[in-house]
Amino acid sequence: MKITDEVRISDNGFVFNSKTGDSFNVNPTGLELTKLIAQGQDFDTIKNMFLEKYELDDLTFEKDFYEFCALIKFHQITTTEDPLDFK
Amino acid sequence: MEKLKYDKPTISKINAGMPSKFGLPVKQKVIADIDGIKVSSLIEEYGSPLFVISEKTMREVHAEAKRAFETRYPKVQFAWSYKTNYLDAVCSIYHDEGSWAEVVSGFEFEKALSNGVHGSQILFNGPDKSKADLTLAIENNACIHVDHFDELYLLIETSRELKMKARVAIRVNMDAGIYPIWDRFGFNYENGDAWNAINRIMLAESLEMIGLHTHIGTYIMVQSAYAIAAAKLANLYMAIHRKFDHWLKYIDMGGGFASKNTLKGAYMPGNETCPSFDEYAEAISNALISSEIPHENLPVLFLETGRALIDDAGYLLTTVIANKRLNSGRRSMVIDAGVNLLFTSFWYNLGVYPTRELGNAEESTIYGPLCMNIDVVRDAIVFPQVKTGEQLVIERVGAYNITQSMQFITYRPNVVLIDNDGKTHIIRKKEGLETFKNSELNPKRNYQKP
Repeated sequence: MKITDEVRISDNGFVFNSKTGDSFNVNPTGLELTKLIAQGQDFDTIKNMFLEKYELDDLTFEKDFYEFCALIKFHQITTTEDPLDFK
Repeated sequence: MEKLKYDKPTISKINAGMPSKFGLPVKQKVIADIDGIKVSSLIEEYGSPLFVISEKTMREVHAEAKRAFETRYPKVQFAWSYKTNYLDAVCSIYHDEGSWAEVVSGFEFEKALSNGVHGSQILFNGPDKSKADLTLAIENNACIHVDHFDELYLLIETSRELKMKARVAIRVNMDAGIYPIWDRFGFNYENGDAWNAINRIMLAESLEMIGLHTHIGTYIMVQSAYAIAAAKLANLYMAIHRKFDHWLKYIDMGGGFASKNTLKGAYMPGNETCPSFDEYAEAISNALISSEIPHENLPVLFLETGRALIDDAGYLLTTVIANKRLNSGRRSMVIDAGVNLLFTSFWYNLGVYPTRELGNAEESTIYGPLCMNIDVVRDAIVFPQVKTGEQLVIERVGAYNITQSMQFITYRPNVVLIDNDGKTHIIRKKEGLETFKNSELNPKRNYQKP
């Protein structure tokens, strides 16, 4: 999963997708997550970073992470190079 | 290092459409307690989902309605609409406030009698009155509101057989400016059916005509319609006096006053658009007082309002079972109370509120727990992110939801009353398997495969 080339993310949580013309607001944790995904960090690394930083349990993070990923994929902010995610 | 508070990551699309003329509320309403009792402790003690009825609100709203009418009209009598909510504890509170009973079936009639209502203080409405029902009503000296000619002739026959006089009124339907006209109940005013029925009743030796009744519809948001209806009944009232030299005892304006719930498709919330009791009272009282009825012969004004009296007093407490993201990207959640408990969710956008302040509101769909596609409590509501187990409150569910609730797929929950002293009482027990086993018969119980 990678952030689409046409997407620009500002530091205050504004996301613009020039491919679709859509713009979005992400909240601070959403912004943090998007940036980590943009850096190419994998799920386990991101999870450990979040668990260390926030009052959070691993299952809640896992649910929220995958829901967020599904949403940004739905909005065409990310693309999956391998559609079946076989890696 | 101290950890930071976590907020669920969210993303929301910016829509540059036409802004709402009225805007959205900036602050999410929260209902943390009902009459000073925490929602969490109610659910802990009585389970979830849970119907809660506030005696305090019931009495306050009733007092407001009573004041609105009694300050405008000299003789007013409320009759509690049993079908709106006929739990004994609820009916008893209204009877304690001085209400008579308005019933629409033999079952409700028996319930009113069992609640200690004197038969002569029961208004018997509805299109379904069997010979046995009419016998019960005549023997108890009830006010029988005749719905159609077949009922009228059955009533004449029954009262003759009993050699007793039946006290009757007729239900009149009419064009009061509300469309479609409710013409399925009662006799029509404009085409002369009502006048024909009155003449037939006045000629029947076993019947005593005592009143006129109308019920122009439900959730009527135009109070002037009541003024039209009252004026038409006043005309009939005077016509009866002129022809038969007989003064009726009452005019019953029925119910149909809107509650503060918001109808589906409405542009503005119900609590801002529905007429107040004062507005209904002004329209009805004015029409009667300014009619040609002499002041000394003004009839008693009966009111059978149900929905507007009790809707605000009822709450349904519920718990979030799951959050789901639909294929369309839309947020949805599943709660443990479905449309089998919330009949009014088919025509209202019911108010669903969290019990504490939560962030990140997003347009969502709220589903009930039934494995049925129609189980949608709210199809579109801006709602904050919640976790499973979060407790929510659905407000204004006091009218019709309990009486029309359906046992389906799961058991119906406890109904709890919070009394004026802040004490809680179960007024209807949660169903269990025994509830059904007690009324089921199984002739195949001992069937064994050969």
